[in-house]
Amino acid sequence: MSASQSAVRSRAEAVKVSRTFDWLICFTLFFVVLGGYHVHFMLVAGDWDFWVDWKDRRLWVTVLPIMAITFPAAVQAVLWWRYRIAFGATFCVMGLLFGEWVNRYFNFWGWTYFPINFCFPSQLIPAAIVLDVILLMSNSLQLTAVMGGLAFGLLFYPSNWPVIAPLHQPVEYNGMVMTLADLLGYHYIRTGMPEYIRMVEKGTLRTFGKDVAPVSAFFSGFVSIIIYFLWHFFGRWFGSTAFTTAS
Amino acid sequence: MAATTESVKADAAEAPLLNKRNLIFAVAIYCVFYAWVRWYEGVYGWSAGLDSFAPEFETYWMNFLYIEFVLEVSTAGILWGYLWKSRDRKVMSITPREELRRHFHHWVWLVAYGVAIYFGASYFTEQDGTWHQTIVRDTDFTPSHVIEFYLSYPVYIITGGGAFLYAKTRLPTYQQGNSIQYMVATVGPFMILPNVGLNEWGHTFWFMEELFVAPLHYGFVFFGWSALGVLGVVGIEVAAIAKLLKKDLA
Repeated sequence: MSASQSAVRSRAEAVKVSRTFDWLICFTLFFVVLGGYHVHFMLVAGDWDFWVDWKDRRLWVTVLPIMAITFPAAVQAVLWWRYRIAFGATFCVMGLLFGEWVNRYFNFWGWTYFPINFCFPSQLIPAAIVLDVILLMSNSLQLTAVMGGLAFGLLFYPSNWPVIAPLHQPVEYNGMVMTLADLLGYHYIRTGMPEYIRMVEKGTLRTFGKDVAPVSAFFSGFVSIIIYFLWHFFGRWFGSTAFTTAS
Repeated sequence: MAATTESVKADAAEAPLLNKRNLIFAVAIYCVFYAWVRWYEGVYGWSAGLDSFAPEFETYWMNFLYIEFVLEVSTAGILWGYLWKSRDRKVMSITPREELRRHFHHWVWLVAYGVAIYFGASYFTEQDGTWHQTIVRDTDFTPSHVIEFYLSYPVYIITGGGAFLYAKTRLPTYQQGNSIQYMVATVGPFMILPNVGLNEWGHTFWFMEELFVAPLHYGFVFFGWSALGVLGVVGIEVAAIAKLLKKDLA
């Protein structure tokens, strides 16, 4: 190719070409990251995210933020540190929620007939926005990992509280006290996922009563800090542009 | 005067930088095809897909499986073979405008890969969760698996391989060797398909229930991470396109 030739006819065409590539990149990145993030999330935290009777005060609160901060950290490591684009975490989480909502509607409801209020996905957008804003304001990896990671864990339960609260109301059924979510689960039988598989409210922490969710959120925030650091460096590696040597 | 007229005529006849028809067709073909597949699942999943020993299971699901195997192998062979056979042997001598046009065409491939990955890794994989947590399996080739593992995964593998081969055979940017992240972004998701062997072996050996977070599934998770290799591909592409446009955008 000749260095003296130009790829475009005018500056206006160059601008148009540049903008078109932006849209193509944005579309592709959204769906490829969505695919990777969703397959990761559904297989390391999915059961707690699929069903309301899994959304307990302990494991749901602990596991989901830890597993959800991974891809946002990796994508921020490229979008912010290379292109100064400040919405990496929100971009990932929007993708994940798009994939989840489409699935819950067309498949959980549309194919296996579970009502949406039994299988809606968890809310992650407020925590992702905070993660992005902390990075934008601080321009610091350390501060984003420590403050953002902690906030990501701590904000998960409050941001889900408005929708989950009615389903955590106690009910008495055949002489047993349970949550409304548990009762829904007993009525909507999932033959391939019997009750003995369900992991909720395990361990002795539940004897602390009201402290369960805050302690779980705090622990989740602590691990999210470590995971953020780890996945930031994963993201840098994935964003590298090296080639193998041509023979 | 004559030269100017010739130049204008040449410009008018020149192919557009981005062929929007190809782009729309690429996205539409996946959406329409998978809408039909989802309709087929909805109709024949419940009516013919619950008992693998029933004759209607053979008719509607095993035959579907055999047909898709044949179509996938032939599509991959023809498409990849064509891309390789028709490669540009003078790729380093193309004009900057032609290079830009090919980058656009490459991005049509990548957009198609994005859509294919979405349907495979997101739509049909989570769908598998609700099907198997609801229906007890009595075969590896359940209605959900016939679509998820043996249709949607091969489709994104074929598309990813096509994108990689297009870049490798037609773009000067990719002649310096093999892009590590491009290989990660295509070979990694491909590895999810062989990992089905572990999944099915485990489900027949350990448990037939469906716990999605079971360690048996972590192979899918590990290879799913490799989708992030697209960040490296974006990095290479942005640098290449910036180089082509730099002079005109300055």
